[in-house]
Amino acid sequence: MTEFYGLPNAGEFWHWTNLLHFILVGLAGGMAFLTALLHLKGHPEARRYTLWALGLIALDLFVLWAESPARFRFTHVWLFLSFHPTSPIWWGSWGLALSFVSAGLLYLGKGPSKPLAWGLLAFSLVALAYPGMALAVNLNRPLWNALLAGLFPLTALVLGLGVAVLMKSSWALYPLRILLGASLFLAFLYPFTLTLEARGHLWEEGGVLYGLFLALGLGAFGKESLAPWAAFLAAAGLRALLVAVGQWQGLGL
Amino acid sequence: MPRYAMAIDLSLCVGCAACAVACKMENEVPPGVFNLWIREREIGTYPDLVVEFRPEQCLHCETSPCVPVCPTGASYQTQEGLVLVDPKKCIACGACIAACPYDARYLHPAGYVSKCTFCAHRIEQGRLPACVETCPTFCRTFGDLDDPESPVSRALKEAGRVDVLRPELGTKPKLFYLNAPSKKGLTQEREVHHD
Repeated sequence: MTEFYGLPNAGEFWHWTNLLHFILVGLAGGMAFLTALLHLKGHPEARRYTLWALGLIALDLFVLWAESPARFRFTHVWLFLSFHPTSPIWWGSWGLALSFVSAGLLYLGKGPSKPLAWGLLAFSLVALAYPGMALAVNLNRPLWNALLAGLFPLTALVLGLGVAVLMKSSWALYPLRILLGASLFLAFLYPFTLTLEARGHLWEEGGVLYGLFLALGLGAFGKESLAPWAAFLAAAGLRALLVAVGQWQGLGL
Repeated sequence: MPRYAMAIDLSLCVGCAACAVACKMENEVPPGVFNLWIREREIGTYPDLVVEFRPEQCLHCETSPCVPVCPTGASYQTQEGLVLVDPKKCIACGACIAACPYDARYLHPAGYVSKCTFCAHRIEQGRLPACVETCPTFCRTFGDLDDPESPVSRALKEAGRVDVLRPELGTKPKLFYLNAPSKKGLTQEREVHHD
């Protein structure tokens, strides 16, 4: 039997607004990555996608600011006035900010387009990668392991491609299914990479939803008209669920 | 430069929580969150019974996982080994809370992350942390780990057994538990489930 005088600070520290950010940042990063590729290929849809990427990055940055308990203390300026390469969030803030700047210059037609597109590609890759890294570095949280460093970028691209298919870009369906397949493969593998305790916790706290999102993802390989919705919801759901359930510290104390 | 550490002799701790109260008062910790708490655990059945009163707080780890993940440098380690938070730089992103294996950090209602500082403001004045000064059984000792004559070094030397929380994570905590009541060392939640 365990009792306390006072309590350890073991409650949830990331709430639904943070889960929303984990979805939005994937969507914004995915869209910025697609935009960069379209610019590099000289695709006629590049300009439309640039506007979407700008809007989604702006929306994500706004959500980040609005949900932050420090929003009126304006301490976020320190993200750009300090050098902390060991922090995935530091990388992410630079990745998002520079993606926004390079996409903005591309949209306005200011500056050399090829180098800007290459820059956008690199910065969007950082934005795609950092959420999974931010989770995977926490060795103390048994549900956040190294596999998330792969699953999060993949689901981010699925989110971007899902929106692309919904925007009637027919070229996006094939890569959407390929990347969703890769995401689902990792998601199927994921429970087997966990300890027995962690798997039990995932099952208890989110087993039904996890199964539902996997099934939804498989649905994307069926009817074409439902594919982008199924893929988008599966990728968004998996991201949010893994962040929410993974805040568990394990039984080590 | 001193390297500050604390030791808690669990064979002397009676779980009175005077340290927790003193900490709340000294640091004006808001309601609902804690710099310091007592975990009381019973293992086994009479007559083969162990009761452990374990005060817990920030362990000021030597290789603290909370510091490198901070994107602004708000979480930092002083030259004396104290792990502190600069509220003026904290964006309350929660990365350090996620990284702490000991649930020591919390979000202060004023919009920054906070935790035990080993009463850094008192140490600066040459005083002991409030929890150490208050303990009626003198189970807590504090001092310079590099000074063999400091109270904490002597306590570590004289202890029958020295444990730290979650040693497998390699965080090298500077809060040591001495003379745990169980012969197996500090109790763990998993043991409770198995008993």
